[in-house]
Amino acid sequence: MAGLAALGILVLLALLTGFLVESAWPSLTHFGIGFLFGTVWDEPHNVFGAGPAIVDTILTSLFALLLAVPIALGVAIFLTQIAPAWLRRPLTYVVDLSAAIPSVVYGFWAFFVIVPLMNSTIEPGLTSLTGGRWPFPPSGSLGYDLLTATLVLTVMILPTIAAISRESMLAVPRIYRESALSLGATRWEATRMAVLGPARTGIVAGIMLGLGRALGETIAVTMVIGNVYILPGTIFSPGATLASWIVNNFSELTPASLAYQALLEMALILLAITVLVNVVARGLLWRFGSATEGGSPDRPRRHRRSRRSLVLAATSPAEPGTGGEPPAWRARVAAGVRSRLVRRRGVQWTVVGLTVLCLVIAIAPLASVILTLARLGGPAVVQPSFYTSLPPLGCNPNPFTTCSLGGIGPAIQGTFIMLGLGALIAVPMGLLAGIYVAEYGRNSFGKLVGFLADVMTGIPTIILGVFVFVLFIYFDHNAALSALSGGVALSVIMIPIVTRATIEALRSVPTGVRESATALGFPRHRVTVRVVLGSARSALVTGILLAASRALGDTAALLLTAGGSSFWFSSLNTQTAALTPFIFANFASSYQNLRTDAYGAALVLLAMMLGISLVARLAVRSGAAAPEGE
Amino acid sequence: MEATGVNAWYGRRQALYDISLAIPEGSVTAIIGPSGCGKSTFLRCLNRLHEETPGARVSGSILLDGEDLGKKDAVSVRFRVGMVFQRPSPFPNMSVFENVAAGLRLLGVRHRAELDQGVVEALELAGLWDEVKDDLDAPGTGLSGGQQQRLCIARALAVQPEVLLMDEPCSALDPIATNKIEALLQHLKTRYTVVIVTHNLAQAVRVSDTTAFFYLGKLVEMDRTEKIFHAPREKLTENYVTGRFG
Repeated sequence: MAGLAALGILVLLALLTGFLVESAWPSLTHFGIGFLFGTVWDEPHNVFGAGPAIVDTILTSLFALLLAVPIALGVAIFLTQIAPAWLRRPLTYVVDLSAAIPSVVYGFWAFFVIVPLMNSTIEPGLTSLTGGRWPFPPSGSLGYDLLTATLVLTVMILPTIAAISRESMLAVPRIYRESALSLGATRWEATRMAVLGPARTGIVAGIMLGLGRALGETIAVTMVIGNVYILPGTIFSPGATLASWIVNNFSELTPASLAYQALLEMALILLAITVLVNVVARGLLWRFGSATEGGSPDRPRRHRRSRRSLVLAATSPAEPGTGGEPPAWRARVAAGVRSRLVRRRGVQWTVVGLTVLCLVIAIAPLASVILTLARLGGPAVVQPSFYTSLPPLGCNPNPFTTCSLGGIGPAIQGTFIMLGLGALIAVPMGLLAGIYVAEYGRNSFGKLVGFLADVMTGIPTIILGVFVFVLFIYFDHNAALSALSGGVALSVIMIPIVTRATIEALRSVPTGVRESATALGFPRHRVTVRVVLGSARSALVTGILLAASRALGDTAALLLTAGGSSFWFSSLNTQTAALTPFIFANFASSYQNLRTDAYGAALVLLAMMLGISLVARLAVRSGAAAPEGE
Repeated sequence: MEATGVNAWYGRRQALYDISLAIPEGSVTAIIGPSGCGKSTFLRCLNRLHEETPGARVSGSILLDGEDLGKKDAVSVRFRVGMVFQRPSPFPNMSVFENVAAGLRLLGVRHRAELDQGVVEALELAGLWDEVKDDLDAPGTGLSGGQQQRLCIARALAVQPEVLLMDEPCSALDPIATNKIEALLQHLKTRYTVVIVTHNLAQAVRVSDTTAFFYLGKLVEMDRTEKIFHAPREKLTENYVTGRFG
């Protein structure tokens, strides 16, 4: 059973790749390698190239990384090395919370806060500061451009990088830091020598995971990048990334048209890039993980025998440890010790100040998101009918008519139906696959499945949506846009997350527990079911909640599969409403009442996410008390 | 070195109660006692490392050469009071040479020749030179456990501290490696004041001149080592050193 589920993960990945390649095949053969460099997207003439999308994807992601990495490292350093003990938990929680905010909510916030700010202040400011020299010419993009997309990506990947870096720094045994302190290092020097060095593999892995997330980020980018298919001329050019171009055009194309196939080829390119980045990231994390388990993270490579060894070996003193004269540096150091200490202290306090600044920068967007959504969504969510009504006909108030607010009843209903459907498939499969890998998978097959599940969590959900749509087109094309299709898409998002969470939860159960149960004469499957699953219960619940919250917050996949609807759910085979597509479709509607509904829906979604994360938090707390070491 | 009225806490839990004792210079002082009696905590107070544990607090005073360490800068205190830990902890991203040179670099020693000389002397003193001199650029974590621990001793000695604190330095080592470190201690005490925490009573007898017995966070008795082990004043001490508990 469990082995089958594990095999299922492999099959899923094979199907994903197979179906995308198969469906994109006509485009692959038609354009060949030239597709990568083509710069136009011309439907009337059937000429397509991915060049601008690839360039924009890479540019925005790399610049976002450049901005996010120093800030994220500052946050991680503050949270693990500098913050007082009582502040660490709550601050970590807040930073992790910003990683849980759905993409559509970030996009929504950016649309109302960042875009106007860029348009009115930052971009004109940059232009006048630089005298309008390249790449800062007067901007005509109204704030919808590459720079804005880059900043939004920065905000979104920052918590991911900070979280992995923080975990890597925590995994470095405290003894290294204490050894450095005992040598007379300041806290910053100890961090630099004895924490950042040993944690560097984990940190690099975190950066790669952030990069993967940026490359595949879809909805938020789509909402601010301008969606113009040209090669960028300046940082104020509007543009389109691979993911944003796919999501913008996918539903308008007829399957089997060349444009559709070209779009699938784009999805394939995005898949290849993100899988590559995630394989590297996960590979590094696995290496880092197994190294820290052995007690010494990051064994350096063996160096070649150096000249220093040879020279020193030849001149070694004849009398060992005679003491004699104190060395010359001793007096010099003693003389300069005070002023040097002042300088080292200065560096120390500068670093503290900078990391606090990083933390403020990291937390500010979360606060702004919550405030913006509360302000915009407030008027809708206080109406009880908002949760139970059908969405209204679009309408703008004028002196002669008032508009009905309507509500998001079908969207809430559809979301829960598809989430339930997704969980129905994903939870058993993920649990079983996880059990297999953790309990029986000490072979190369088990390792492979575990690794691929890790990699799969990094595949952009837009690609999973494309895959499920293509799958339905192939087997049951009437249901390609339906609750069933949406539910399957959500399950594909959840399966690897549940699998991973299960593996981690089971691995954290000490071997002793298993051995004692086995020694009492329990058969193996009962050891697993009764004892191991029992001890890991709260961690498993947390993992499932995490998966559910990721599915709940996802827009891209549902946008391509659920189809959307203005009516109550009727059957699994018909188009169905859901919260995130509703927000995406209506946040910039020309009708005031639909906009108000979208604002309210965004606030409801945010509240649900925060609620889930709070519950998950409490589950963890009750599950494991923090050990207190001497 | 002299401690007066030292109390220490982890969060709300008090780990040390009013410890006052004098550590004789140029000799080895052993601190013994059952697990959780506060001996490691006390050691960590001596170089003010205790206060780096999140949530930890300390009160009382510790004097070195008549100066109150609590009133000085923690960084300059630790440079005068070195420490070696229970598990060998060479910095994993540094070579043998860089591990030993780390402290010197912190102090601002830059000249190549001075660094070289300092490193060689420290390795000599720790009895490790002959084993590593051909491969100073190999990673410190590639050495055997005993060698790693002597590397850590060399690292602590390179900055020429006045006091060397050792927190169960042999508990992770095999008997041969332990022997080497014990022999090293006899050599070191001619130049340094050494304080060693140990679980191993036989080791305390072999290496120390003075022994302090801690129990439940309190100092029960401190005296010359022979006295503690053969004619202790307190019944509690006698029970412990004769193996009746602990």
